[in-house]
Amino acid sequence: MKTILIVDDDRNICRLYQEELEAEGYHIALAANGREALDLVSREMPDLILMDVRMPEMDGLEAMARLLRKHGGVPVLLNTAYSSYQDNFLTWAAEGYLIKSSDLGPMKKKIREILAA
Amino acid sequence: MNPQNESAGGPQERRIADLTILYEVSRALQNTLNEEVVLYTILVGVTHGRGLGFNRAFLLLIDPAGQALEGRLAIGPSSPEEASVIWQELRDQHRSLGELLQQVPLIAIKRDLRVNQIVEQFRVPLSDPQHPLPQMVRSHTPCLVTGGAVSPRGLPIDAHTLGLLGTADFAAAPLFLADHDIGLLLADNAITRAPIEADSLRLLQIYAQAASTAIQNAALYRQLTERITECERANRVLRESQRQLLHAERLSTIGKMAALLAHEIRTPLVSIGGFARKLLRTTEEGDPRREELTIIAEETGRIELMIGEVLGYSKAAKLELEDTDINALLRSVLAALNETLQRASVRLVFGLDPSLPPALVDKFQLRQALINLITNAVDAMPGGGSLTVTTASDRDFLEIGIADTGIGIAQEHWDKLFAPFFTTKSSGTGLGLAIVSQIIENHKGSLRFESAPGQGASFHIRLARRPGIAAHDVVVPAETQR
Repeated sequence: MKTILIVDDDRNICRLYQEELEAEGYHIALAANGREALDLVSREMPDLILMDVRMPEMDGLEAMARLLRKHGGVPVLLNTAYSSYQDNFLTWAAEGYLIKSSDLGPMKKKIREILAA
Repeated sequence: MNPQNESAGGPQERRIADLTILYEVSRALQNTLNEEVVLYTILVGVTHGRGLGFNRAFLLLIDPAGQALEGRLAIGPSSPEEASVIWQELRDQHRSLGELLQQVPLIAIKRDLRVNQIVEQFRVPLSDPQHPLPQMVRSHTPCLVTGGAVSPRGLPIDAHTLGLLGTADFAAAPLFLADHDIGLLLADNAITRAPIEADSLRLLQIYAQAASTAIQNAALYRQLTERITECERANRVLRESQRQLLHAERLSTIGKMAALLAHEIRTPLVSIGGFARKLLRTTEEGDPRREELTIIAEETGRIELMIGEVLGYSKAAKLELEDTDINALLRSVLAALNETLQRASVRLVFGLDPSLPPALVDKFQLRQALINLITNAVDAMPGGGSLTVTTASDRDFLEIGIADTGIGIAQEHWDKLFAPFFTTKSSGTGLGLAIVSQIIENHKGSLRFESAPGQGASFHIRLARRPGIAAHDVVVPAETQR
């Protein structure tokens, strides 16, 4: 079973993503910000990280940069309400950039693609 | 005017008369700063019977560039017959010099007099060292010309000057202030042929000093007025650009706030809509709650779409230009809106130019602009109507027209039509036309509209076929240009 680490400070979003992705057959781990995500990665060894960008304590871009330095191979899928972060070259290191939407179809499709590769 | 001096008597009386003239003229000159009036007043004083009493007077001034001595204004009859008529009139009116001078600002200055045709022909370059007139100015000394030469030294006056004046006898008084040369005042008795007395020349000299001050003051005043007008104009331009700057700043603040708000709203919407979709999926067919969950999911989707619009507006989008078949783009937009058009009983009328060349545009942005314009057109026809979609092109530009037969746009809304958050609809973000305007601006195109209440509205997008041509440069009626 593939493990997905969901990193988001919004509890409702975490719950929605968890329920929806578990229904797709993934094992889910949750982190409320970038720092928690860093702590969890070595324990959970996720196959994919679904990462919000704007979060307290440590934002998603910084967390991603540290993760990629430490655990090179983990694909990160950025998932944010902001389209403007695309201008930040750090986001180029991610596997994908998704604007948050209540239609989770595109997100699920992208996750399948990344995990199949 | 009347050359027959009514002055008389002994030297004492003569001096008093002279002082009276100077006083009257000075007083008249103090009452005005209008250059024309000042010049005319000076000439009246020189020629009036109760003034200096010359037949004719000519004013030659150094031009503003300081290059030449130019004839500016003259006064006096052109023949003995005309002279007797004018002088008789003046005698009949019994007007004193003071009374006459008071009238000067009120009378139209007669530029069509023959003396003015003469004076206009005077233009002597100051660089001409031989010409006697600039020499007279520079000398700062009055002189009497008799028999065509300055007396008593004998400097000959050129034939051209004598020919223009039509006399070989005249008095010349330079106009100057300190070392600043202003011009030359010429006076003669060409009609009566009366000799010019030494006393008259002396008085003309004193008179010229007062005249110099008045001319200089009027010139300074005119320059000052011009500068002030210039400053006022610059000030107006400055104010206007400041106003525009404030407006732009306000818009950008609104834009930033809207963007922030939109982002903040997006997150809870994901939860609301996402859970609604999840519940919808897990609710059995036939359950009445399915319909309500559908409403939640769809309405959430609608808000998300609107937020996308706001953010699209707030963020200056980068253009991705590609060669686009505009007719095909229009057809695909209309196909996508087909259901909306049918529901609103809107009939489509096509006027597409089959030979329309491709245009270099951002397909996604232009599509959004067309959707907004067509949606607006449909909304403007609540009782149905017809929507006319046209395309046309010339060498450099192509034009897209969207016209409806709806309620039209009230004139009071014309200037706010493209402002963000302006709307007349009960529901709507007020961003539709602002986005259209922004998109067309991104393309350096122009957008104009025509409308009359109850007569529908038509919008015209004009786009350059190739980059580098701005459709702004095309003149369209100012009140509808955008």
